[in-house]
Amino acid sequence: MEQEILRQPAEKLFEEELNALIKAESDPVPQGWRMSPRSVKTYICGGKVGKTVITPKYIGHERLVEIAIATLVTDRALLLIGEPGTAKSWLSEHLAAAINGNSGRVIQGTAGTTEEQIRYSWNYAMLIANGPSEEAMLKSPVFTAMETGTLARVEEISRCASEVQDTLISLLSEKRISVPELSIEVPAKKGFSIIATANTRDKGVNEMSAALKRRFNIVVLPAPETLEEEMDIVKTRVAQLSSGLDLNAALPKDAVIEKICTIFRELRQGETLDKKQKVKAPGGVLSSAEAISLLCNSMALSGSFGNGEISDEDIAAGLQGAIVKDDDKDSVAWKEYLENIMKKRGSAWSGLYKACRELNQ
Amino acid sequence: MSGVNFFGIRHLSPAGAFYLRKFLDEVRPQTVLIEAPSDFEDTSADIVRAETKPPFAILAYTTHAPVRTILYPFAEYSPEYQAILWCKKNGAEFRFMDLPSEVFLALYEKKLTEESCDGESAAPDQNAGEERKLSVYDKLDILSGEDSHDTFWERTLEHCADEKAYREGTNLFGEKIREFSEKTESDLEEITLREAHMRGCIRETVGNGVPPEKIVVVTGAYHVEGLKSWESAEKSPKMPSTDCAHTLMPYSYYRLSTRSGYGAGNRAPAYYELIWESFKRGDISYTANAYLSKIAEAHRSGGNAASSAQIIEAVRLAESLAAMRGGTSPVLRDLRDAAETCIGEGSFAAISVAAADTEIGTKIGALPEGVSRTGIQDDFYRQLKELKLEKYRTVTAQDLRLDLRENLRVNGGKSAFLDLNRSFFLHKLRVLGISFAQLLESNQENATWSEGWVICWTPESEIQLVEAALTGDTVELAASFTIKESVERAANMSDVAGAVEDAFMCGMPTAASYAVSALQAMAVDAASFEELAKTAFRLSSIVTYGDIRKADSAPLIPILQQIYYRACLILTGSCVCDDNASHAISDAMNRLNSVELAQDFLETESWLGALAETARRDDLNTRLSGFAAAILLERGKMTNDELKTEVSRRLSKGVPADLGAGWFEGLTLKNRYGLIARLSLWESLDEYIKSLDDEEFKRALVFLRRAFADFSSAEKDSIAENLGEIWGLNGAEVSEAVNAVLDTASQEQIAGLDDFDFDI
Repeated sequence: MEQEILRQPAEKLFEEELNALIKAESDPVPQGWRMSPRSVKTYICGGKVGKTVITPKYIGHERLVEIAIATLVTDRALLLIGEPGTAKSWLSEHLAAAINGNSGRVIQGTAGTTEEQIRYSWNYAMLIANGPSEEAMLKSPVFTAMETGTLARVEEISRCASEVQDTLISLLSEKRISVPELSIEVPAKKGFSIIATANTRDKGVNEMSAALKRRFNIVVLPAPETLEEEMDIVKTRVAQLSSGLDLNAALPKDAVIEKICTIFRELRQGETLDKKQKVKAPGGVLSSAEAISLLCNSMALSGSFGNGEISDEDIAAGLQGAIVKDDDKDSVAWKEYLENIMKKRGSAWSGLYKACRELNQ
Repeated sequence: MSGVNFFGIRHLSPAGAFYLRKFLDEVRPQTVLIEAPSDFEDTSADIVRAETKPPFAILAYTTHAPVRTILYPFAEYSPEYQAILWCKKNGAEFRFMDLPSEVFLALYEKKLTEESCDGESAAPDQNAGEERKLSVYDKLDILSGEDSHDTFWERTLEHCADEKAYREGTNLFGEKIREFSEKTESDLEEITLREAHMRGCIRETVGNGVPPEKIVVVTGAYHVEGLKSWESAEKSPKMPSTDCAHTLMPYSYYRLSTRSGYGAGNRAPAYYELIWESFKRGDISYTANAYLSKIAEAHRSGGNAASSAQIIEAVRLAESLAAMRGGTSPVLRDLRDAAETCIGEGSFAAISVAAADTEIGTKIGALPEGVSRTGIQDDFYRQLKELKLEKYRTVTAQDLRLDLRENLRVNGGKSAFLDLNRSFFLHKLRVLGISFAQLLESNQENATWSEGWVICWTPESEIQLVEAALTGDTVELAASFTIKESVERAANMSDVAGAVEDAFMCGMPTAASYAVSALQAMAVDAASFEELAKTAFRLSSIVTYGDIRKADSAPLIPILQQIYYRACLILTGSCVCDDNASHAISDAMNRLNSVELAQDFLETESWLGALAETARRDDLNTRLSGFAAAILLERGKMTNDELKTEVSRRLSKGVPADLGAGWFEGLTLKNRYGLIARLSLWESLDEYIKSLDDEEFKRALVFLRRAFADFSSAEKDSIAENLGEIWGLNGAEVSEAVNAVLDTASQEQIAGLDDFDFDI
């Protein structure tokens, strides 16, 4: 049964680790939490509990993770901001999984999200038949989280319309939700909080109001600081993802990961890693997350149509798609990078260079 | 146990200062031994005076070059300072027990010479060096997951709630650090010497009849273990020594924060003062509340919003961050991160100014009048009195206008030249980098006898003055040393000329002649045309205005002649360059021209000859050739006919348009009214444009447009009038066309030229 699910939630995937941490708990546990803040940090940043090795879920910037957890201890809502692909949702999911053992109370924000989806709506058949009653009420994830004293997640909050975002303002300051139709007010239990994520760069986002921002503690997640750190992230995630996907291909070699991360970093920063040469940056966001999916893609290509070993051609196809999005300028930037930087990098890069060039003829 | 009481501290530690005082209250010692150079004891009488306001520092320096210094800063929360204050209040005796500063400086000098000898042999061994660099403190930081040793120390000990815990904690910390770093410390030799000396001091004190239990030893936590064995007699080792002196000086929090490292500095002095305050108030939570409120206040005064709710949230976040580390009180790192998250909305840049204000602060210490002045301070105050400048020594800025001419209304030398001597003095301070007086830029070009200064006394100036003591014992000596140093360090000729100028401004003939001879030596070497022109310009201004300063500028004349002649010779050669480089050269030509006009001892012919050749030749940068022609025109050395010939030659059809227009641009750089008035010039230009075909016109247009870009509209009017005359049109109409704002169609046409490829 479980085999059929494309992607297990975090609390299922890392059940063992979570249980080990709960069992070994020695620090005080805040009300409504399953483990102490320190254990949550161990779960996310990795470590060892007894004999169980805890794999790191978020690599780099441990201090930011500390700030995020400490925020939730104080019952303040947490807002994770960052460029696309900086593991905002990933961190939010794991925080909820570790603290509540349930990362599923989530609102996935879109331009079409309505106020009802954040507060509550009605089963209209029952509403019309019997009038408003608690049975006829459909509670939103935020509502349930308040009732149970747990965490609710709001993904991509900045995609919701501004007036819908602002529904959260009074919820967060008063910590209670009122249902005027039933003349009741539901107070939040201890342990309730919200983790929201927002994007700073994408098109089609709505600026958050200052009033709403004030109700959140804001943590900005940066892109990985060093090449090594990014390689580490990409490697870990590719291994985790591919084990669930049956790709019939070998994991990419370190040299391959290094090349991909180097290309991504250089194009993202607009200069070579040694800072000696300027590079024209393409318009798209080249995040670590895209590097990960690119490698998984290449694995799928090699597994299905190749010999199971990632070849330069597989990567080239992936790079082309990731870097050249819709714009002519992207294509120019990529060609320039190929000729000016990659071509001059020596024999280790020549295979990849030729493969990329062929696609760009 | 020995009975002697040891109190291990960290320098600049509020908790240490507070608990040390409590400890002293309990023990009520007869003598307190403090870890500070023993020869500093003579400053202690001044340290305890009520007018002395920390932060201050004791500076020891070698009296010979190169000057080496060591600095002992004290803040209000320095345990040593508090111990001294306690002794004074309670009538106890205190002694400084560390090595005298002459030994420290000698050891320091020795280490530096050794390092410079080792330099080469150590180079290939870099990897090993890096491994060694990871000291026991670094390893501790990695283990504890803190970002710096300061954070570790603050988290573990700085917020201790009781005295015993602090004492035991520091002693244990010192003991363990000692254990792990034994024999690996790079300055092991120094530590052995120091501890032997300190043990000797304890023995001596006991020998003087003070019962051991009535002695408190205040020392760095690291040394406590090393001093416990004071009873066993030992021979005092041989100490190196060097000539040095020391002085008390006011200090500032800003300076304290820029010196990092154990003992010598403290990255967040204003924040540590808050901790000290919280101890005095007996309110542990004061630090966090005050820090975050102050940040919010500073943030608000910067025009940003910061609500009380945000401060409250930040306090709570900081507390839970501290709790995650198992602490009760948040440390600076927690507080700053909390402020960043709650007040700065996740970005430190937003609160960085507020954080600097709150953590570092602007506090500046003060010393009573006349306290341990260095030679230079004595000299400074003496001169201040002599020159009647004392009334300017206030914190409010005042203007001072000096008339450098002889005052004929008074009799006799000194007072007649009071203002001139004042100017010399203030210029010396300027050379020394003492911010007491700022020279105002003069806007009256010819008023060489007048000089404006803004004078304002700040404690910073006093600090700068004490630092200048390192270069000399009087203002004059220090200034001449500084000038000599700048001559030695000078990378090019005009820097040396600058030093010569400084020396003349300061009225220091000896320093001036030293700088002049250095200049002479340099003038023999090759230098670029720009460099020569710049130097000549500076020297020329000294020669011109030297009289007013009673300076003998005669020795400068031969050098100026030499430099001038050389510049004339290499002018033509320097004009082979591209357009970007030509701007610097045209500036230099302008300068040299004004030098030549100003000094009649320079031979005019060589300059005019060089200009004529530059103007005539076709293989040089055309812009510069044009500029040379402009200078000749201005000086009346080119006739109208010559100009006309030159214009038609330069702008004839065969010459590439960019070269022709470049020449024209050079020509218009100077003396525009003269040019505008010459109708023949515009006739030639008109003929030239008529001769071009469409493609050539496009090319020329771009360059001509640039040449006329910075003409004012009045100038364009006059040109229009000229053209009107040539074309037989009404001048006003032409002017309207020339000055009109471009319509969209022409703008598009011009934008089309952006992609114009000049290479084809």
